[in-house]
Amino acid sequence: MIKIAQLSCGTEYSAVQSEIERAAETVGAKMVYPDVNMDRIDKAVEEFGFNPNSPQLKLMIARAMELANKNYDADAIFIATCFRCAEGALVRTELRKFVQEHVRLPVVTYSFTERTKAPQLLTRMEALVTIVERKELLARERQVGLTAGLDSGSSTTKAVIMRDNVIIGKYWLPTTDVFSSAETALTKALEEAGVKREQLEAIGTTGYGRFTLGKKFNAKLVQEELTVNSKGAVWLAGKQKGEATIIDIGGMDNKAITVRDGIPDNFTMGGICAGASGRFLEMVSKRLKVEITDLGSLADQGDHNKVKMNSYCSVFGIQDLVTSLAAGNTLADVAAAACHSVAEQVYEQQLQEIEVRQPIIQVGGTSLISGLVTAMEHTLGARPIVPKDSQYIGGVGAALLSSGLLG
Amino acid sequence: MKIFIMPPNSLILSDLVERFGHEPLTLMRALRERVTSNEIEAPPLNVTVDDVKLGLKYAGIEIPSGIRGRMAIYGPLIDQAQAAIFIQDAPYSFGCVGCQRTNELAKLLVRKKKVPILTLDYPANEDEAKYMVVQVKKFLEGLK
Amino acid sequence: MDSDIETRLIFIAPTSDLTPDRIARFIHNLGNPVTVKETCYGVVIEGHKADVKRTLDEVRKLDPNRIFSKERAFPMGDIRRCRAHHGSRPGFAQLEKEWKDLCLIEKGLICVEKGEDPPQVRKRGKMPVNELKILVDEVSP
Repeated sequence: MIKIAQLSCGTEYSAVQSEIERAAETVGAKMVYPDVNMDRIDKAVEEFGFNPNSPQLKLMIARAMELANKNYDADAIFIATCFRCAEGALVRTELRKFVQEHVRLPVVTYSFTERTKAPQLLTRMEALVTIVERKELLARERQVGLTAGLDSGSSTTKAVIMRDNVIIGKYWLPTTDVFSSAETALTKALEEAGVKREQLEAIGTTGYGRFTLGKKFNAKLVQEELTVNSKGAVWLAGKQKGEATIIDIGGMDNKAITVRDGIPDNFTMGGICAGASGRFLEMVSKRLKVEITDLGSLADQGDHNKVKMNSYCSVFGIQDLVTSLAAGNTLADVAAAACHSVAEQVYEQQLQEIEVRQPIIQVGGTSLISGLVTAMEHTLGARPIVPKDSQYIGGVGAALLSSGLLG
Repeated sequence: MKIFIMPPNSLILSDLVERFGHEPLTLMRALRERVTSNEIEAPPLNVTVDDVKLGLKYAGIEIPSGIRGRMAIYGPLIDQAQAAIFIQDAPYSFGCVGCQRTNELAKLLVRKKKVPILTLDYPANEDEAKYMVVQVKKFLEGLK
Repeated sequence: MDSDIETRLIFIAPTSDLTPDRIARFIHNLGNPVTVKETCYGVVIEGHKADVKRTLDEVRKLDPNRIFSKERAFPMGDIRRCRAHHGSRPGFAQLEKEWKDLCLIEKGLICVEKGEDPPQVRKRGKMPVNELKILVDEVSP
């Protein structure tokens, strides 16, 4: 049983403690709580260097200190505080850095509201468990045999067929019904590959619809998108060895993952608000009446500085867009500003929580929007690598990892 | 009379209030039904999403959920309070009393009720303890 | 659970000669329908409110200024608050500190009993600037 140490404040009073425990249980893990003696608390707070007013936050620090000093045994760490609590947010983010300086355990942080439910926590918990339990599988660098990967995302569904470490078929389409979208994607990808479904030796599924598809397609591998996408990204970019940062701006949430030899050692995933995701760019292209595939090149011709736009909330972001169009700005400037705003949000919300390591690999469907890659470059000061077939990371990762489970 | 105490789980305050003939409004009693009700939807304590919504009576939606959930427990105690005793710099307690913002809000809401309040420091020595116990007794005797 | 059932912690101040074992035996001998269990600091009792109160009143008489008590939310032996499962109980640290300080409260109770005026407690405040100036001048004239 994987032990996930919980460092938190407010979970029992926000009706989320049972959701946390349920999410952990679903992925075969157990939440544990490092015990601390009262007389250690003040000392721990002093050593940590930040003295919060709330005793529960002091306890969080002391519990983290037990983990950092290896006085308490756990496999992974979950740090959570209430959304909108400033003191809690400070402790949460600083504790993450602190424990990671001292122990090499996967850590995930989360700020919750009373509406947080187990499914929202599941992907994060599952990734913690995968990193602990499937280290050897995640270390696999080559795909073998004939396998397929299905990536059921919130916006699009992708299928990839691989044979002996080469992509031989691929297809994507917008997600409607999870199963029929996957069925179409797989059929088309098999057509391109020129192989029959019965010939497939294994199928791997990932993304929001992974469990449903896993059952329907009798998949050998059903795994969350954080670890699968990382694998796909480093394979596609040819960066399997050494360190890298993967930025995946998805349809519903953004992910930033740091990897060492292809295995994630830190990740963040968009939390409460899905405002600054790929979905926002979809809304923008609809409003500007341009195809999403043309939004990037349009943005490349514009100047984001001419338009003030904040997509933290997509509703307000679209309001900004309408106002700036009314003020006479060009479509190109508005498109550039939209890309820039999303990049800024990724920087403010995700990249603050991880240590950005070069090279940066930008993946997912949104990495095909060149204006967004340019905006990330402006924000980060270095141009991200966008590998060929970057939208197929999930499919490639699932095909590759499922081949590791062949007998 | 019903006396709200802060910290609401204090052994010393709860004992003194009872000893001097009044009823302490304690956290333990407020939590009792949330840990012993037949159906516990949100273990280990039964603070459910509906409770967190009840907390809106005491703190607005922009306030963190942990404060609203705690206020769902504290709030009804404050509503009943006919007087209150606050101890400053009490020893740490976690869980329900672990959020200092909630504790400050609870005190504010008691103050707004305009009921008699005695504020004392947590005693560090014998003299301070004597002072505290005598003050508590006088305060409680004076309540009519 | 029956809402008339109460769980109560009884504490023996560190200065008392009483032991948890003696109190537990005393309670057994009272014959009230309450369950009793020894703890590090005294005993925990559980039963109908009236029986718990009757028992507590009798126990207090053993050493009035050194026996203290408070209600407990969780029933006796509830594993949800077991140290092995969720770490220390949230109120444990405070309870431990308050228990150690019961010997101070005992002095306060004796003071009340004797009807003595308590010593005036001077709050540590900030030194007025003019007094500080005198001090500064003394140190470096």
